Amino acid sequence: MQPALLLTAQSSSLGDTLFVLVSFIILVLLVKHFAWGPITKMMNQRADKITGDLDYADQERKKASDLKQKREEALNNSQAEAVQIVANAKEAGNQQRDSIVSKAHDQAQDIQKKAREDAKQAKADAMKSVQNDVAELSLNIASKVIGRELSSEDQKDLIDSYIKELKSSHEAE
Amino acid sequence: MNESYQYISFYGLTFNVANCLSTIITVLIVFGLFFFLSRKISLRPGKAQNLLEWIVDFTNGIVKNAIPEKREASPIMLYVFVMFAFIFVSNQLGLILQVAIGGKTFVKSPTADPIVAMSLGLIALVLSHYYGVQKLGLKGYLGTYIKPVGFLFPINLLEEFTNFLTLSLRLYGNIFAGEVLLSLIMQVAASHGWLTFVGAMPLSIIWQGFSVFIGAIQAYVFVTLSSVYISHKIESE
Repeated sequence: MQPALLLTAQSSSLGDTLFVLVSFIILVLLVKHFAWGPITKMMNQRADKITGDLDYADQERKKASDLKQKREEALNNSQAEAVQIVANAKEAGNQQRDSIVSKAHDQAQDIQKKAREDAKQAKADAMKSVQNDVAELSLNIASKVIGRELSSEDQKDLIDSYIKELKSSHEAE
Repeated sequence: MNESYQYISFYGLTFNVANCLSTIITVLIVFGLFFFLSRKISLRPGKAQNLLEWIVDFTNGIVKNAIPEKREASPIMLYVFVMFAFIFVSNQLGLILQVAIGGKTFVKSPTADPIVAMSLGLIALVLSHYYGVQKLGLKGYLGTYIKPVGFLFPINLLEEFTNFLTLSLRLYGNIFAGEVLLSLIMQVAASHGWLTFVGAMPLSIIWQGFSVFIGAIQAYVFVTLSSVYISHKIESE
């Protein structure tokens, strides 16, 4: 034991090397457990968080711009719609007015036509009754004035000529 | 700083007390710092968390520069983070605190010792080979030694040793030289009374500031190169 001890006492290389290696390994393990692990974990977390926040901000910005575009579109559309509505209303009003006027016009024409027909009819009726009355009356008058019997053929001729005269005088009026 | 150390033996292994004690102190400082900075971790960082995140971002940036693919880079990030902090604190420790009792040094920069520096280099080397085998498989990993042509095998093999040696000894040389020069300035200061003491003070201040700078640069260089070695190993080509 003694010679070996003396021999090794000449050089501390192996002992020092082992000592440094072991202390370095212990240091690495301790630092890993107490400082390196937590700090790298936190740095990674922060990196992740920053990435996530940036992504989130991008998303939000995109959403906001989309929303803005939509809003502007809606605004433009609403103006166009308002114009359209007013135009439609105007057109509808015009159409309604035209239809009312034309209907009234038609109705008036109808009424006029009817009235004219009624009047014509009344006139014809009146003429017919007058014709009969006049024929009878004139026959009576004639028979009384002339005092003689007319043949039925003469009588008819006489009446017709009378009526013709009456008609022409009526038309001349 | 002087070159005499206290040794202790333990189960047939000999330990250099200065190296072990300094390593323990460095480990405690690094752990204490990160433990303190990571107490209140929230989504909205406070001052301490900002500082910690700044360091994490810095070391992650080193890894990402060497290994662009995220899936391959992420397992190495913890190693680079801890290694950077460990070497940085190691390099500064000797500038802040040097304890020598009875002519024997007890506390200094651990990285001013070639064995400690090579142990750290060994970690980088083992990790690079581990990730190389993991990525390419054993066959693919062994295949990288005869690329681009078979007769380059000895050179490729030699490259592994030179990478390891340059990585470790660059760190050791820078820090050791810094501490040697600092102790020389101290000797000058103590040599001829108050005159040299006052004269050496600005030199000491300048060199200490420069050593802080070198310590930071060497920590950065060490982790950058080790991630570059790892990226070489996992390149499928």
